Amino acid sequence: MSMVYINIFLAFILSLMGMLVYRSHLMSSLLCLEGMMLSLFVMMSVTILNNHLTLASMMPIVLLVFAACEAALGLSLLVMVSNTYGTDYVQNLNLLQC
Amino acid sequence: MNMFSSCMITALVILTLPIITSSTKLYKNKLYPYYVKTATSYAFMISMIPTMMFIYSGQETIISNWHWMTIQTMKLSMSFKLDYFSMIFVPVALFVTWSIMEFSMWYMHSDPYINRFFKYLLLFLITMMVLVTANNMFQLFIGWEGVGIMSFLLIGWWYGRTDANTAALQAVLYNRIGDVGFIMAMAWFLLNLNTWDLQQIFITTNDNFNLPLLGLLLAATGKSAQFGLHPWLPSAMEGPTPVSALLHSSTMVVAGVFLLIRFHPLMEHNQTIQTLTLCLGAITTLLTAICALTQNDIKKIVAFSTSSQLGLMMVTIGINQPYLAFLHICTHAFFKAMLFMCSGSIIHSLNDEQDIRKMGGLFKVLPFTTTSLIIGSLALTGMPFLTGFYSKDLIIESANTSNTNAWALLITLVATSLTAAYSTRIMFFALLGQPRFSPMILINENNPLLINSIKRLLIGSVFAGYIISHSITPTTIPQMTMPHYLKMTALAVTILGFILALELNLTTQGLKFNYPSNYFKFSSLLGYYPTIMHRLTPKTSLTISQKSASMLLDSIWLENILPKSISYFQMKSSTLVSNQKGLIKLYFLSFMLTMILSLLILNYHG
Repeated sequence: MSMVYINIFLAFILSLMGMLVYRSHLMSSLLCLEGMMLSLFVMMSVTILNNHLTLASMMPIVLLVFAACEAALGLSLLVMVSNTYGTDYVQNLNLLQC
Repeated sequence: MNMFSSCMITALVILTLPIITSSTKLYKNKLYPYYVKTATSYAFMISMIPTMMFIYSGQETIISNWHWMTIQTMKLSMSFKLDYFSMIFVPVALFVTWSIMEFSMWYMHSDPYINRFFKYLLLFLITMMVLVTANNMFQLFIGWEGVGIMSFLLIGWWYGRTDANTAALQAVLYNRIGDVGFIMAMAWFLLNLNTWDLQQIFITTNDNFNLPLLGLLLAATGKSAQFGLHPWLPSAMEGPTPVSALLHSSTMVVAGVFLLIRFHPLMEHNQTIQTLTLCLGAITTLLTAICALTQNDIKKIVAFSTSSQLGLMMVTIGINQPYLAFLHICTHAFFKAMLFMCSGSIIHSLNDEQDIRKMGGLFKVLPFTTTSLIIGSLALTGMPFLTGFYSKDLIIESANTSNTNAWALLITLVATSLTAAYSTRIMFFALLGQPRFSPMILINENNPLLINSIKRLLIGSVFAGYIISHSITPTTIPQMTMPHYLKMTALAVTILGFILALELNLTTQGLKFNYPSNYFKFSSLLGYYPTIMHRLTPKTSLTISQKSASMLLDSIWLENILPKSISYFQMKSSTLVSNQKGLIKLYFLSFMLTMILSLLILNYHG
């Protein structure tokens, strides 16, 4: 594999680690989720452009749309938690009553 | 060619004359009640002529004088049937009405609308005559509805009183339910026999007369206050006493029984309907006799007594003895009207006091009323050789010796003894003992109007049974031989009722009244029937209609089916299936650890 792919793949793994390991703020895992999306987008675009997969050119756009949706969802959940507790500390999420 | 039909038509026309002249100055006259009473007495005397002719020669007539219309194949005309039943009933009814009108001249003396009262009474009498002399069902229905409407107007005579309006409405509604049965019978006759004439109905043979006879039984239940449609009769005592005496004892309430008697050729061969009539009459007579035991209003006790006797008439029809039932109608009219008039005399003399717990000691003060009350009660209970004996004892004997429902028979015997019991109760509380009314009242019964009217009915109560039963043509053969214990049954249970009631009344006179027992509550609340039926049924109908109108369409279909049910379902299921505890960091860490471990193991596997 060439160097570009390894680079971007490493960025993805780093963001994944960042999302799975976080201390107190929910916001940091959401930020790493965005990072994962970004690295995936770049990898997908580079692959399609290098191998001339012309018909798959709409895939990055679709990925972007879904990323936006999911970012909005994550942010709304964050806002709900923050409405109840004032902060987004993860140790607040111990009450399971809806 | 004799004067049979002319005399009868003359008698009926004389009755209508005061109504026709009611738009002239005669109506505003102070003597109008006197005119009405005289007209009734003349009609009575003239109608005795055809009755004598009928008794002597057995002549029956049908007068068919005006062809009204023909609807395709059915001819409607005005026709009068003057046969055994109407010929004997018309003089009896006119005699009783004559006495009642004279009585109400005394009773309603201070009423400003007394002329209108007499007009209503006369209208009622005319419609009753139309009912009994009708030859086709349409004319009978005209009379039927007419007596219903006049009953409404007369019960609600004092319309400023809420209870009177409620009672009048109750009477009309219960009668209406019975009218549904009448119309069903008329429709069946129209469809299957193409006629409403009684003659044609009786000569056509048909296998199954169940449906119209059921309709007629329902009509009789409504009009004659049998069980199921009976609460209107005690409530109808809100009307003035002459109204109770005329309508609700002698004349209107027997219209239902009269209808069944008219149709006896159809009922002879139908065992089902006979059994139904028997059981219905037996239940009615027992229940109303039980209810009469604990009432405190003198008019209500007599009203329940009427209801009980009507049940007895139905029992008689149920054992296939229509002529005995008719005889009981005629004899019952005399003593029941007299009982009501005596109670009216007592009520008016005690300054409108109707509660028997506040009467007493009238034996010395109102001697004539006391005498007639006692004779009336004895006649009611079937004392030998008074009026009631000739019909009631025959009925009990026929019931004892016929192949019939033993339970119904037993109930009728119990009700007969209860008749004696409540009659004793009336006499004991109203007449005997020490006075319990206010001593500031001047009691005077010396009015000739009152005395003469009660005197006529008194003579009728004593002798009419003998005269009628020895003058009529023999119809069904009464049972001549029976064991002596069956013959004495009616007398024995009546004497038993008298003795028991007298002993109980004397013994408990000075005792304190404790909490009412369950049996007392059952009896004085009329068997809980009005309480249940007048509240539960309308409430159920209204609730169903409200629920189906507002809840069904608006709330359920528009609101609840899709939107709210989806949101509710989602919330419930999310709380159900989520079993996480919110330990997000732990979940993420375990996810990462699993991925690293799998990568390591899969890489260094080979």
